[in-house]
Amino acid sequence: MSSGHHALSFKVLISTAIALAVLTVITVAVRSIHIPSPFNIIVAISIAVVKAYLVVMYFMNLRNDSRFNLLSFVFSVLFLLILVGLTMLDTMFRVPIVPGF
Amino acid sequence: MSTSSGINADLGLKLKRFVTPDHPEVNYAQAEKGIKAWLTTVDHKKIGLMYLGAIAFFFFIGGLLALLLRAELWTPAKTFLDADAYNQVFTLHGAIMIFLVLVPSVPAALGNFFLPIMVGAKDVAFPRLNLLSFYIYLAGATFSLYSIVTGAVDTGWTFYTPYSATTGTSVVSMTLGVFILGFSSILTGLNFIVTLHKLRVPGLTWGKLPLFCWSLYATSVIQILATPVLAITLMLLVMERTLKIGIFDPALGGDPVLYQHFFWFYSHPAVYIMILPGFGIISEIIAIFSKRRIFGYWFIALSSMAIALIGFLVWGHHMFVSGQSTLSSIVFSLITFFVGIPTGIKIFNWVATMYKGSISMRTPMWYAMIFLFLFTIGGFTGVTLGTLSVDVHLHDTYYVVAHFHYVMMGGMLIAFLGGLHLWWPKMTGRMYNERWANIAAFLIFTGFNMTFFTQFILGAKGMPRRYYNYIDQFQSLHQFSTVGTWVLALGFTIILIYLLQSLGKKGVIASKNPWNGRSLEWLTTTPPVLENFTYTPVVIHGPYDFHKPIAEFEYGIESHGHGHHDASVHHSNEESVNA
Amino acid sequence: MSHNSSAVQSHVAHHFVDSEQQFDAAKFGMWIFLVTEILFFGGLFAAYIIYRAWYPDLYTMASTQLDTTMGAINTGVLIFSSLTMALSIWAAQHNDKKKTGIFLLVTIACAFAFMVIKYFEYTHKFHLGIFPGEAYTFTGIDHPKAHIFFSIYYMMTGLHGIHVIIGIGLIFWLWMKNNKGSFNSAYYTPIEIVGLYWHLVDIIWIFLFPLLYLID
Ligand code: HEM
Ligand SMILES: [Cu+2]
Repeated sequence: MSSGHHALSFKVLISTAIALAVLTVITVAVRSIHIPSPFNIIVAISIAVVKAYLVVMYFMNLRNDSRFNLLSFVFSVLFLLILVGLTMLDTMFRVPIVPGF
Repeated sequence: MSTSSGINADLGLKLKRFVTPDHPEVNYAQAEKGIKAWLTTVDHKKIGLMYLGAIAFFFFIGGLLALLLRAELWTPAKTFLDADAYNQVFTLHGAIMIFLVLVPSVPAALGNFFLPIMVGAKDVAFPRLNLLSFYIYLAGATFSLYSIVTGAVDTGWTFYTPYSATTGTSVVSMTLGVFILGFSSILTGLNFIVTLHKLRVPGLTWGKLPLFCWSLYATSVIQILATPVLAITLMLLVMERTLKIGIFDPALGGDPVLYQHFFWFYSHPAVYIMILPGFGIISEIIAIFSKRRIFGYWFIALSSMAIALIGFLVWGHHMFVSGQSTLSSIVFSLITFFVGIPTGIKIFNWVATMYKGSISMRTPMWYAMIFLFLFTIGGFTGVTLGTLSVDVHLHDTYYVVAHFHYVMMGGMLIAFLGGLHLWWPKMTGRMYNERWANIAAFLIFTGFNMTFFTQFILGAKGMPRRYYNYIDQFQSLHQFSTVGTWVLALGFTIILIYLLQSLGKKGVIASKNPWNGRSLEWLTTTPPVLENFTYTPVVIHGPYDFHKPIAEFEYGIESHGHGHHDASVHHSNEESVNA
Repeated sequence: MSHNSSAVQSHVAHHFVDSEQQFDAAKFGMWIFLVTEILFFGGLFAAYIIYRAWYPDLYTMASTQLDTTMGAINTGVLIFSSLTMALSIWAAQHNDKKKTGIFLLVTIACAFAFMVIKYFEYTHKFHLGIFPGEAYTFTGIDHPKAHIFFSIYYMMTGLHGIHVIIGIGLIFWLWMKNNKGSFNSAYYTPIEIVGLYWHLVDIIWIFLFPLLYLID
């Protein structure tokens, strides 16, 4: 399972960049529709995730790469989610000790 | 992965037997001579030894500070340190022992020296990065020590906000020091992971990897995933002090408990950085000195990985009384119980390995026994503390102090000493005086229990930690504990003396395999040659297959390196065989 | 297993068996480094999310002070620079030294453009009194924790900016090496791994942009 020298394709790179540009325009444009609260964040982040996916898979060429490289990337995101998730288990469920504090 | 493919005649490997002599004509230390060669070396063995020297030095400093602390506690009121000085000394003691001694100890010193040899490689994957990590370590150490000169730090090693954001002491230089040390730790972990993945010799599948390597792998994963969060947290703390950004300091609108979350996201996994490599050493020692194939190889290997991963889910057990939400306290307490399981699995496997083994009680094995005894106590008291309702009473008492000394000193440090005694002959080519070694081990065991078992009792009776005075009733227990530290100091002094003596003119020359081990480091010369082997070893049997004749471990193929340093090559008696 | 001596080329360090092993190791090492980068920024993202969950209004109010147009332009600039970075690898794979050099230079130019736009954004805010932390004097946002939003803003964009500057240095080093003819289709490891770094810097911005600029 050699990971390494995968020739990049000029066409694929250019198309990726175009897709990224289009998504950027969409994410800015969507803002003027004023989607109601939690959904605007969800839309913005979903678009960002798709963009990041394109960069990782095509520019960084992870789709042709060793699975350990993919695994390390997945782990970093997973552990970031653990950090945020378990911390929010506290911050979202605190009972104010001093009323009104 | 080209180098890890199983041994297979179809690959066209022409196996030969390479019987290495006991001693090389030119060993790694003789191959490049002089101070400059040492300071600029990229040889993992020399870098490991330089780390060993630096760590021993800081252990000495940290130990002196501990003796000071215990001496102050001789009387209930002020003995000779005032409250501020006491705070500074325990902060420094903790920070030095954790960040400068225990975190790098086994990986950076023994791991650096042995991991590449154990996988049959010539060096780690990135030798220059390895040297860089050593200098980053020195830079970080300098920063930390600089804080002593400029007013010391009195926050404790945890640098909790809001106090750390407001105290007048030099928190910035200390935290920058720890920040820098983090990078050194990251580079070591990165190097080990890549080395283990990419540089194993033919035949050395994951299932034949010595357990010490597995434990270092798990440790490296933690170093990679946790250390960056510590780095950014300390960065934010520095910003809090300099720019008053208001993220952690409640006076500026921030949340101090958030700091604790970020800090323990690193520091609980970091306690496993400070024990997993020790587990690895104990696995090696118990297998070698029981002369038995290790019981449950995969359980031990994978439980290290399990500990590394579950270890990320329990940090909140340090925060039960911090004001975090009750929900999270309950969840963290629950998950904490699960960490005990993989640890327990290991203990059972070690005991099962010894069962009906032919045990020889040489010095490293004594340390393994001491480890089993002390670590088990440390682990069990950890589970006690993980119990939410119990911890509300015991938090911030000497019970906690005793717990973490049982795991960190009774666990990791004892394992480190075990590893040092196991590999000293290989590293230096000399054998130490085992009688003195056993006496020292006995003194350390006794002194340790005198010092710290007492503290369980003190803690249970309500003695809070980090106080320089106490009520009169506690005096006899405190004095007993202090006397224990003197016994400990005596033990360490003896170790220093006989180790240095072994290097001198009268030192006994060690053979290449004094304990009759089977992993690759025992098959090369003592001390090893510059690039570890004069051939490329090919691994056929597992590292604990003591029932197989040693000859079957000595196969290899001609080395195809670039062959500089030819001086040290070609003294092996070669004997062709058909594989 | 290639043990033939032709695999032993000048750029292969002594402890690697062949060029392939060295390339794989370098790339894997870089990916692990990127893991540390993600978690390093991750602490800031965590702080961002937690404070946003605590004070959603603050974020809505404060983000009005950020210039979406400039943010969007910068997003485009970074995406384009990622493209040219990838193209420089493509050119190296085709042994085209001249194009490799040009693409690297365009990448550097984009990075500078990004920093210039950031400079204008920062100075505009400083002008209004929007500083991180204690120095914050702006009165336009009626929220007691307004300074915290901007502390987080400055920490995140500042750390990102430092990464852009480091990237400029690294890509410049690649450009010099390329001029000396160090790269060809068999050896372009440094471009590959600096490229990975540069794309990560791009990805972080891809998240920073909607998180900071596009809050309603
Ligand atoms: C079975 C595994 C373990 C469990 C369940 C456990 C549990 C705990 C708990 C609940 C505390 C917090 C007590 C308090 O502050 O009230 C604690 C503290 C501590 N533990 Fe452990 N522990 C375990 C193993 C370890 C190991 C292996 C190490 C290090 C090698 C370690 C090092 C520490 C340290 C340094 C502290 C004190 C931190 C401080 O407040 O300064 N523990 N442990
Ligand atoms: Cu813990």
